[in-house]
Amino acid sequence: MKLTVRRKGKKKTVPIPAFISALVILLSLLIISVLAAITFGNAEISVKEVYSVIAWEIFRDERFSSYASGAVHDVVWLIRFPRVLLAVAVGMGLSVCGVIMQAVVKNPLADPYVLGISSGASLGATLAILFGFGTFLGSNSVGIMAFLGAVATSFAVLFLSKIGGTSNAGRLILAGMAVSAVCSAFSNFAIYLANDKNATSEIMFWTMGSLASAKWENVRVILPIMILGTAIFWTQFRNLNLMLLGDETSVTLGTDLHKVRGKYMILSSLMVGFAVYAAGVIGFVGLVVPHAVRMIFGTDHKLLIPISALVGSIFLIWADVLCRIILKNSELPIGVLISLIGAPCFIYLMVRRSYGFGGERT
Amino acid sequence: MKISAKEIQLSYGAARILNGLNLTTNTKEFVGLIGPNGSGKSTLLKCMYRVLKPDEGYVEIDDTPIDAMSYKESARKIAVVAQHNYYNFDFSVREVVLMGRSPHKKALERDNAKDYEIVRQSLEKVGMTKFADRSFSTLSGGEQQRVILARALAQQTPCLILDEPTNHLDITHQLQLLKIVKQLDVTVISAIHDLNIAAMFCDRLYVLKEGQIVAEGTPREVLTSKLIREIYQVDSEVVNDSKGNLHILFY
Repeated sequence: MKLTVRRKGKKKTVPIPAFISALVILLSLLIISVLAAITFGNAEISVKEVYSVIAWEIFRDERFSSYASGAVHDVVWLIRFPRVLLAVAVGMGLSVCGVIMQAVVKNPLADPYVLGISSGASLGATLAILFGFGTFLGSNSVGIMAFLGAVATSFAVLFLSKIGGTSNAGRLILAGMAVSAVCSAFSNFAIYLANDKNATSEIMFWTMGSLASAKWENVRVILPIMILGTAIFWTQFRNLNLMLLGDETSVTLGTDLHKVRGKYMILSSLMVGFAVYAAGVIGFVGLVVPHAVRMIFGTDHKLLIPISALVGSIFLIWADVLCRIILKNSELPIGVLISLIGAPCFIYLMVRRSYGFGGERT
Repeated sequence: MKISAKEIQLSYGAARILNGLNLTTNTKEFVGLIGPNGSGKSTLLKCMYRVLKPDEGYVEIDDTPIDAMSYKESARKIAVVAQHNYYNFDFSVREVVLMGRSPHKKALERDNAKDYEIVRQSLEKVGMTKFADRSFSTLSGGEQQRVILARALAQQTPCLILDEPTNHLDITHQLQLLKIVKQLDVTVISAIHDLNIAAMFCDRLYVLKEGQIVAEGTPREVLTSKLIREIYQVDSEVVNDSKGNLHILFY
């Protein structure tokens, strides 16, 4: 794919056609995946019934009015559909943030969780579950505390990396690791002190991630945020490309990256915070999707961002479908499943293609 | 275009690296910086291309202080080929050269056919057309350096700053790269290690030692046995070959 795309570039034109067709294909795949994923689940609902409910909700056509309420309607419209859309939002957000984090810290190993965001979120959730911190925030205090934890840690990391000099990639990673260690220590200390078996298993379930708590009121907020964030980052493709060349080269090419680096960190930690709020900690997506896309389309962020967003959404939809159907009458935590299928796919791609992961190609 | 550095001072901690340097280039002049390791050549160049900010003094482009310009403006005036270019991600050669067009682009502007044409011409000038689709990281050091020169050419600036650009190159490519630069008809400031190469290409030389300029003038004026002993502590003989070119023999 890469070779044909690049060959076209020889004719002095941008390889836009190949890129556009890839986008169109992925977008169609995404729509098909959303529609197909709604038909899977534990409840016995026929495909015809599923689409009748959706047709009623979207077109309000009188022919489908018998599906306007009832158990089937509730399962399809209030449980499955928001859940699939949440998968779209979270998959998109985590993948794009992975791309951004890897560019910001100039390190192919970075992902949304490497900069301490995951442990910050876990600490927030742990405090909420064990000690009821933030109960005044309403019924989803755990999610909100996790969001606050994620955002607070990423600000802390950004701030720490700036003390005594300008923030650069290395300092960001080191600050991230330090903050991460502190947060994990506090979480573990709290769990140890509380010695509460139920709360501990609740925390564990939460840190493995799940889309089961999807609700329309969440999706209505989170999906637009993720799409908007992705669109904003897409407009920044030139700066993101320059980031990979380093700060000094960027200055000689007319861009001072110190200012934008902080802005990108803030926007992506907000996106990750919302993902964590809605679905707990789902690791690995932000690492595996950007790399898989880079292997095929190269490193140019003009292509990388939209394609990672679409691939991430599709990937998470099907991962969530598998979680729902693999175990009878029970659900697999999506974090577990993603590592289980993601890692072997990743290794396969890595072995099969000569992909340097940023280092020398072999 | 004229570029000058005025009274530049810079310290790292207690160590003073640059100690009140003055340097001026005339339009389309090839100016060389020579001096031993650690004499401050790279540091001075970094001040000139804005990666470092001098503690005292300033840099001017055509009588405008460089700090009054945006980074984009200065990147349209000065292109840089630095010493070390290692990238942690796989870009194709074409993508790397295309980035030379970024100072000419507005925030949301796409690369157009003209940019691709400039990239093609730049690659042609450095003889890397065949490599356009290769991954940058698979190239040899010398090839990478030529691609970086192509990127600087794509910036289409009236001034070029080179920081020991021929460090990793064999003699064929050293000469080739500097000949390309010489033919460009732009102002060039280059740090050069090899005195013979400096004598061959530079119109004027500045000699740096311990953060100060100790001599300045044409290669013939500057490169004498006496100065070379003073600066490098080696004995040498300066001779003219049959074509009247300057050569330095070391003992």
